[in-house]
Amino acid sequence: MPAVVVAILVFVAFFLGYRFYSKYLAEKVYALDKSKPTPAHEFEDGVDYVPTNKHVLFGHHFTSVAGAAPIVGPAIAVFWGWVPALLWVVLGTIFAAGVHDFGALVISVRNRAQNIGTLASSVINARARTLFLLIIFFLLTLVNAVFAVVIANLFIAFPGSVIPIFLEIPLAIFIGQYIYRRRTSALIPSLIGVALLYLSILLGQAFPIDLSPIASAIGLDARMLWIILLFAYTFVASRIPVWVLLQPRDYINSHQLFIALGVIFLGVLIGFDRIVAPAIASVPEGSPHWFPFLFITIACGAISGFHSLVSSGTTSKQLDNEEDARYVGYFGSVGEGSLALGSILAATAGLGAYTVWQERYADFNTASSGAVGNFVEGVGHFANNLGVPLGIATIFAAVVVVSFAATTMDTGVRLQRYIIQEIGEIVRFRLLARNLTLAAALAVVIPLGLALYPDLAFGRLWRLFGTTNQLTAGLALAVVAVWVFTRNRNPLAQIVPLVFLLAMTTWALFIQLGDFFRAGDYLLVAIDGVIFVLTLWLIIEAIGAFQRARSERAASGTDGGTTGA
Amino acid sequence: MMHRIILVREWDAQLAASGCCGRLGGENTELGDTETFAANRSEMEAMGEVYRALRAELFDEDVEITVVDPRNMVWLVPALLKDARRRGLNLREIWSQLRRGISYTSIVVDGKVLFNGRIPPVEDAVAAVKKELEISEPDPAVV
Repeated sequence: MPAVVVAILVFVAFFLGYRFYSKYLAEKVYALDKSKPTPAHEFEDGVDYVPTNKHVLFGHHFTSVAGAAPIVGPAIAVFWGWVPALLWVVLGTIFAAGVHDFGALVISVRNRAQNIGTLASSVINARARTLFLLIIFFLLTLVNAVFAVVIANLFIAFPGSVIPIFLEIPLAIFIGQYIYRRRTSALIPSLIGVALLYLSILLGQAFPIDLSPIASAIGLDARMLWIILLFAYTFVASRIPVWVLLQPRDYINSHQLFIALGVIFLGVLIGFDRIVAPAIASVPEGSPHWFPFLFITIACGAISGFHSLVSSGTTSKQLDNEEDARYVGYFGSVGEGSLALGSILAATAGLGAYTVWQERYADFNTASSGAVGNFVEGVGHFANNLGVPLGIATIFAAVVVVSFAATTMDTGVRLQRYIIQEIGEIVRFRLLARNLTLAAALAVVIPLGLALYPDLAFGRLWRLFGTTNQLTAGLALAVVAVWVFTRNRNPLAQIVPLVFLLAMTTWALFIQLGDFFRAGDYLLVAIDGVIFVLTLWLIIEAIGAFQRARSERAASGTDGGTTGA
Repeated sequence: MMHRIILVREWDAQLAASGCCGRLGGENTELGDTETFAANRSEMEAMGEVYRALRAELFDEDVEITVVDPRNMVWLVPALLKDARRRGLNLREIWSQLRRGISYTSIVVDGKVLFNGRIPPVEDAVAAVKKELEISEPDPAVV
């Protein structure tokens, strides 16, 4: 089937989801009221609380939630065929992600723009906040480990991308110094930055960097060496002020995100490539079954718990009126779904021939370790449809993915540092709570150990990441569902994806526990076991919260209190 | 006529393509401290003063005040182009306003950049904006 036809059908489905389902959610489930003052008006200060045009807010929100994660999962999941992956992305975006992101934004707006951690503690109970912090701790550990492996794999598969990525660092620092010190236009420096970055691809292509000789000289393999170097970099990067590197690089990334989206969909349109992957693939004996593993392999792109953190806390402080939550929250998840769609098309229509696809997706380990590379090649092919030479186009795609993944690692390590300090406060371990270097070192060493774990297949690490991300989404959905229920409205829109996600996550964790144990991967057994316990904990807390809400609702008659929070 | 005032300044913790980690880590989430984005916070607070003063002074005017991050170019570039075209500027002037408008900090009224690079004292900002609004208002005698 031509990829462009699939893309059009998916966009039509997204449009219908937005047009009808989000309208139902807005009117019947969240009962949005345009006249109700939002925190942006109530506490308007022009600093954090600013009533913001919905298109401006969407730009801020969407660019923050998009990244490398909705690229990786779908590129792995086409192992089971493009139809199951696509269906989960489409149905997940419409019925799970949209409900989740939109709901997290609404509940935050109705509760003085509090973030989801605080809301979990007030809507469910105080223990839920500890649960939230523990889930986020595991989530960030896995995020950092996963993206270190992704970048290392891309550097090895596409050595031409190393020089552009390393040049991006001084380029970003220079742009930052220029913009912040001279306080001048950001438009031209950022455009020049992007142009120089893409120009450096020629240099990267001429001088590909291969660390294998150095790695073998010190008794490592190239992947291990890259992972160590990447974590050394993030340790330093997480200690330097954000305005030196992290924020200026964003001026380049903000262009890259839209350039990449444009290249993918224009390339699909112009090239009129056909999907070469089977609709439903017959997988080798012993492979993970699509049910339940598809639903944790694609987390971001179908539903991502991280979005509840972005929706609450910051975006909710800028919502001009409640009705805008539909556009910003629901449509934000549609944007992420579109990125996942791009990833599916790149990994199924961008590889050229069925034999190539069959080779790349021969078994689950090959599929998962090479998935991002397949995406990169696919996007390279789409860019080639637009006239960019294939070699350069492929490195361009690798540069985009590595730039996004590196930003995720930079921010992930920083966030993890805070979580570790916060956990230090909870367990009253003062040294951990106060010592920034110790917290930063732990934030780096834990995921580093995981990424370097011997013979660790990337697919296993990715599935663990997926389970924690779905768990975060489950926590947010539980909070929103209880809140909707206590307002005397039907919480089925939250309960269905909540039950489905928790069932798939628990089931997948249970199967993995056995798999890891049989394979002798005891570190993964421990992590999987802890996440399994956290899942059960979440299920118990969610059931308890519903029972309490039910009793309260019964005690107060039919009036569940539709006003206020 | 509806006027548009755009205040351009960075939001703390706003990061593009960070795989869901953007907008986290500042003061507004549980995952951050006050120091990390201190440089942004001081600019945000300074622009916040201008924002509040403009709100107070122009409360009865037909004015929309928008605060936007300079990295949100997908919105900012078309908005500045649209306003500059509506003002009837020629291509060279449009480019000049666009270039100056998309900077670390700027104040733009109906497509014309009044300040860029530094946030002016509140009184100066309010006076300049009011003056600009008076100029761009059609003369009732003529109309």
